[in-house]
Amino acid sequence: MTSVLIAIAAMFAYGIPATLMLDPRARGGKLAAFGFLYGSGIVFLAMLILSIANVSWTVPLIATVAFLIACSFRVLRITVPPGDGDLRPRQTHSKAEIAVHALTALTVLSYASYATLAHLWEWDYWAIWGLKGRVFFENHGLDWRYLSSEWNTFAHNDYPQLLPFNFSFIALIGGTWDDRWLGLLNVMYAIAALLIVWALRRETTPLIGALATLACASTAASCYVGLAEGALIAFGAAGVLMIRAAIIDDDPLAMRHGALLLGFAASCKNEGVAMLVAVAIAVALVARKWLLRLWPSIVIAAPWMVLRAFHHLPTDLAEGNVAARVIAHLRTLHVTLLDLALSLYNPVLWCALLATIVLLPSSWRRRERFVLLVVGIQLAFYLASYLVTPHDVHWHIGTSWPRLTRHVHIPLIVVTVFGLANWLSGGEDAAHAEARSEV
Amino acid sequence: MERTRITPRRALAFLCLVVIVAASVEYRLLRILFIDRAPLSEAFERSADTGWYPDFPTFIRGVRAHTKSGDTIAIIVPTPKWDGGYAYAFYRASYLLAGREVLPLVTPKDVVVMENFHRARYAAFWRVRPPAGAHVVWQGSGGALITR
Repeated sequence: MTSVLIAIAAMFAYGIPATLMLDPRARGGKLAAFGFLYGSGIVFLAMLILSIANVSWTVPLIATVAFLIACSFRVLRITVPPGDGDLRPRQTHSKAEIAVHALTALTVLSYASYATLAHLWEWDYWAIWGLKGRVFFENHGLDWRYLSSEWNTFAHNDYPQLLPFNFSFIALIGGTWDDRWLGLLNVMYAIAALLIVWALRRETTPLIGALATLACASTAASCYVGLAEGALIAFGAAGVLMIRAAIIDDDPLAMRHGALLLGFAASCKNEGVAMLVAVAIAVALVARKWLLRLWPSIVIAAPWMVLRAFHHLPTDLAEGNVAARVIAHLRTLHVTLLDLALSLYNPVLWCALLATIVLLPSSWRRRERFVLLVVGIQLAFYLASYLVTPHDVHWHIGTSWPRLTRHVHIPLIVVTVFGLANWLSGGEDAAHAEARSEV
Repeated sequence: MERTRITPRRALAFLCLVVIVAASVEYRLLRILFIDRAPLSEAFERSADTGWYPDFPTFIRGVRAHTKSGDTIAIIVPTPKWDGGYAYAFYRASYLLAGREVLPLVTPKDVVVMENFHRARYAAFWRVRPPAGAHVVWQGSGGALITR
């Protein structure tokens, strides 16, 4: 456990100064959340740079490169007009708010207990994420012989390496591979995602902010411990919510955070790359002026894309005759759609989310069209993946759809809960929004 | 302050808010703090290996202890079918023997690849009798590690 705790502390040690160099206004929970997420990303970048330079990993070397990357965040700073930032007067908390926070805290504690029950047990952990982390740890760097072997394609060697590198970093600190406490990393991603959601409460009342955080807690606490879902959910949700804030508040600093976080989301899984593309399309459609501001995402995600293309690491979805598979699968599209409906995780929640999108005034849909577009495009990408899959479609849906739909839960829950609460309370723009929508 | 009129649409919106929050909470997760963790922990320790626990992972750890980084090791288990258990044995051995080159003797299409047996410096036989006269490096937990 000690090596995991030291690694997490090291991530904070890189991430918090990096956050403050980028955004001097960040305070409290937001600073902690960005600090951990950027720290995790910086460790990944440091190890990737050393691997590209063909330099064997050692803890002092990684620490040095990570320190330099953290310092480089100063270059990314955008000067914004002085404001109150995240400093706000101490508020009194209602009993209801405290009760909701207690439930969220209980969820996080329960998750910490679950994620550390045993040596990591998930098949996809020891056959994909943990396996690569362990191989890289043994090799003290990316192992191209392993990644290029025809016998090892089962480990999805084309996937970006943020999580395996984080695992390797922990093992390097401990000097040995031990997966007993790696679940703590999942807990940290969950806490970071929830702190970002909680930081958005200024848009609404503290009670509604607390309710939105509670509603996101079980998604952030990804039950797939040791897989990249937890990291992707945290980076992806934080990135989408920051870009939403940038568009709504015309805030270039929020855009910078969003772009960086999405770059790290794209370094977690191929689905993160899809999310980056979904965000780029949505930004191009609703706020074109921000599109080029996504460049930090590309800078972070591109090196691995280039490396995997250079080393011809195959992507299973792109194998063989894709067009023939699409045509064949389109013939049974109705079966696929039925499969998707029957395997949907938490259909009650989805029904309520979809009903909310229909119920709320059109002014809300206009305001939130960025998030709604991202969610729609991302789900369309997932549907497309089932049309091109070389695997049995039924098996592929059953083993992935309940997991993938959770990637978009948090941004959608946040905007619907805030929208509903705002409209119900008749607050701010609710009255005229309703009037407009009912004309 | 003017009171907001309750309309069916508002009532439905309130219901949506309640359902979104209530349906988002994973109640099974919350129970974990109030139950005895020991049996659950034991079940999770076994869950990666199910029916192969504890002998197969213990055997592979023994193989690791008797080989070194970079060695090539072929895996031989009773099931020759990929989906019938060979995939598990190969993947699990790949994880536990990370740093060594682990070679399968069966492909996902259930084709036997004898070249891998001949290529490997070691062969890990688990619950399969090694060939007569093979040089046994180590044996235990239902298996034998042989070298050529």
